[in-house]
Amino acid sequence: MDLEHAWDLHPQVSVRPEPFGALLYHFGTRKLSFLKDRKLLSVVENLATSPSAHTACTAAGVGEAELPRYETALEALVRSSMLVERMK
Amino acid sequence: MSAPKPTESTATPVDGLVEAESLVEEVSIDGMCGVY
Repeated sequence: MDLEHAWDLHPQVSVRPEPFGALLYHFGTRKLSFLKDRKLLSVVENLATSPSAHTACTAAGVGEAELPRYETALEALVRSSMLVERMK
Repeated sequence: MSAPKPTESTATPVDGLVEAESLVEEVSIDGMCGVY
């Protein structure tokens, strides 16, 4: 995935915040993803109002040193169709 | 005849390098139909 592009949650994905992070459920693929970090939940929530995933990470308090770890997490969510690239 | 050299471990930790635990875990509930 490209962190400089804009991404959104798939419209068929429901997010349920949990103490450990969040549960994402995709009604189309019937897959569950566990977000094991509240900051990652903030990143995912920020995507809708951010011009890029990088901006969403920064707004959630992800530092530059942590960015590769969060990029890997977002890539996993893209692979499982939880996130989709925003159409221009 | 020289004594065999001890095998070097390939799992030597590197200072400052902490293996990042995955922040995402995926589960498919396919095949669970009929369980409930």
